[in-house]
Amino acid sequence: MSTVAVEVVYRGIFQKTLARNIVRSIVFAARKEGKYGTAFGRYGDSPERNGIPAKQFAIVADDAEELEENLAVYEAQEVDVTINVDDTMCKGIESWAWYGLQPINALTKPGGTLIVTSRQETDALIEDIHRKDEPYNLSVLTSVPSFSGLWVYKDDHTDVRILGALAKVCPQLVSLESMVEAIQDQGWDDLKVRSAERAYERAGLRPVEPGEGNDETPFTFDLPGWTTMEEGLVIRGIEQGGGFRGAEGGYQPVRNSVFKKYSTRSMRPIVNFETCIKCTLCWLQCPDTCFDVTPDGLYDANLESCCGCGVCEAVCPVPECVTMINEAEFNDNASQYEAWQQNPEGYKQWMASLIEGEKKVERTHGFHHVGGYDEQLAAAGED
Amino acid sequence: MTTLQELPQVRGVKNIPLQEGFTSGHRTCQGCESALTMRLMIKAAGPRTIVVGSTGCMYVANTTYYSTPWVVPWMHTQLGSSGSAATGTAAGLASMMRKGKMKDEPINVIAFCGDGGGVDMGLAGISAALQHDEYNLLILCYDNESYANTDIQVSGSSPWGANSTFSPPGKVHRIMNRRWKKNTAPMLAAGHPSCRYVATACASYGLDFTNKVRRALTIGGPTFIHVIDPCPKGWDYDPKYSHELGMLAVETGLWVQYEIADGELILSGPSRAIGNGVRHRKPVREYLQRQGRFAHLTEEDLEFFQGRVDDSWEKWWIPGIVPFSPPAGDGA
Repeated sequence: MSTVAVEVVYRGIFQKTLARNIVRSIVFAARKEGKYGTAFGRYGDSPERNGIPAKQFAIVADDAEELEENLAVYEAQEVDVTINVDDTMCKGIESWAWYGLQPINALTKPGGTLIVTSRQETDALIEDIHRKDEPYNLSVLTSVPSFSGLWVYKDDHTDVRILGALAKVCPQLVSLESMVEAIQDQGWDDLKVRSAERAYERAGLRPVEPGEGNDETPFTFDLPGWTTMEEGLVIRGIEQGGGFRGAEGGYQPVRNSVFKKYSTRSMRPIVNFETCIKCTLCWLQCPDTCFDVTPDGLYDANLESCCGCGVCEAVCPVPECVTMINEAEFNDNASQYEAWQQNPEGYKQWMASLIEGEKKVERTHGFHHVGGYDEQLAAAGED
Repeated sequence: MTTLQELPQVRGVKNIPLQEGFTSGHRTCQGCESALTMRLMIKAAGPRTIVVGSTGCMYVANTTYYSTPWVVPWMHTQLGSSGSAATGTAAGLASMMRKGKMKDEPINVIAFCGDGGGVDMGLAGISAALQHDEYNLLILCYDNESYANTDIQVSGSSPWGANSTFSPPGKVHRIMNRRWKKNTAPMLAAGHPSCRYVATACASYGLDFTNKVRRALTIGGPTFIHVIDPCPKGWDYDPKYSHELGMLAVETGLWVQYEIADGELILSGPSRAIGNGVRHRKPVREYLQRQGRFAHLTEEDLEFFQGRVDDSWEKWWIPGIVPFSPPAGDGA
């Protein structure tokens, strides 16, 4: 008598198909062993938005009755395995307003496992992941996070590699043989089977001790209850903005204090304040109102509200004035403008090293043009 | 009739107001052009504005459980009722001011709707609103070419051939959305001769859009603006290309930017250059092949699409706008 629960934490829309492939295959594999299972998305995540962290679950039980006990829940209370398909979510996820920042391992059971797809070192990931009071295991699947879109799926085998690794780290869920059968049943080719088997062989566990990891306290809010809500469901509007950081000049909007959106970001802009020509385009074209206008007419990305879409980089007319950098490189949301003012030379070097590093690993955020995914897969195969 | 605000035309992008009326902290997609449309719309209109929003992404994503990014007063209205809600709000304000129950001051009324709410469901209500000459209001339709909030179903504004939850390409039938996009703004302009202002725009051309909102709010009476919003989720592209795809929609001649003010048609931006023959239209494939929703189109489909766009510029009475010909022998 046992129930095994798995959650997949993924970037909304970008990894929706990937997450679905994983949770469905788990249930198909469980059926091969005569077990009962169900795969579902967290109700509150729908409608999904590009990049906003979302969850899908697979629950496997020995009999139908046991399975039913675990259904009709908004979100499982705890899971045996958490699968995180984008390493930048190791810093925590904020799905909705009043939700706060949920640690990536919040639902992972004591002794459970967190699987992460990443090219980072295991220890670098542990620095990002919030500490827990109970021990758990970390298993890193070496891979660039797989991103595609709603209609065209980039089939880079991330789905089956995770399934292979999952069979290894959680043998009580299903065996590798059942997993392989489930992969074949879906009409996927032998290459995908081999990818799953190779991931099974390579998957390792790194035990994480209690107290090990990021000691930041994730921000939380008190959800207003029905007695504290205002009559007629009035929601107070945001206050008018004012000068930059309390100064006379510039402009800084007041922002929604209970939904910050920065955990949506898997890349962040870094701004070269010295080459900026003050053309206003990054500020004007930002859908998230994330640029504060400094008194001297520069634009400082407010990194609590930036969701990392990259439009600012795309519209900036100056080469490498706004550059998107992998979010994994950073550990805080501090102001770049202030850092530059305090130490212009140091800021310049810091920026140059980040831009140099970025050129080595390509991180894509979906569809660029017809055939683009094939080119990326071919290029990855050559490595 | 209530009084109108003074909102002078903005000369140059550097003079766009700094003040925000729609700020950070909304649960839209990365690179959401509709959120940008909201932001620029309220930037142009200023703080003394009431916004009414019908159901759609810009309702659901912006009022995430008991929180909001709106600085100005905002109220939700039902999916098809942007027109009636705008009229009601403007009429209510006028009546309260007439009776002395509130200060007589100019307040902008803007109702927005998506293409589902405006081009499909709310069309009748918008039509009625545009007939009520005594009320000052603006109805803004942000068009992301699908019911994007509920995960991309076909609307009357979805383009031919686009992949969607309702029109997935199959092995037997490749093209499942066989309808051509509705020609909404010209329909409303032609159908409501007393409406003084109808325009089309795109937030990628931020200054042009800002000025169109200001003209709509200051000309008097009910007005309508139709804005095209590239949607990274439903169109399936890397969010950083939102701005570029908006520009491509105009540069390929697929989306025509213009304003019809007091019966006079003026093309704006690249559309004007294309209309004057100063600039060539870019091939439509440059736009289509950048989007996952058109990834299944074949060479033949691309040519068909291009042919329809060419026809709209070469055969229509008013290129890109009026799709029929004058009576034979009359000349145009």
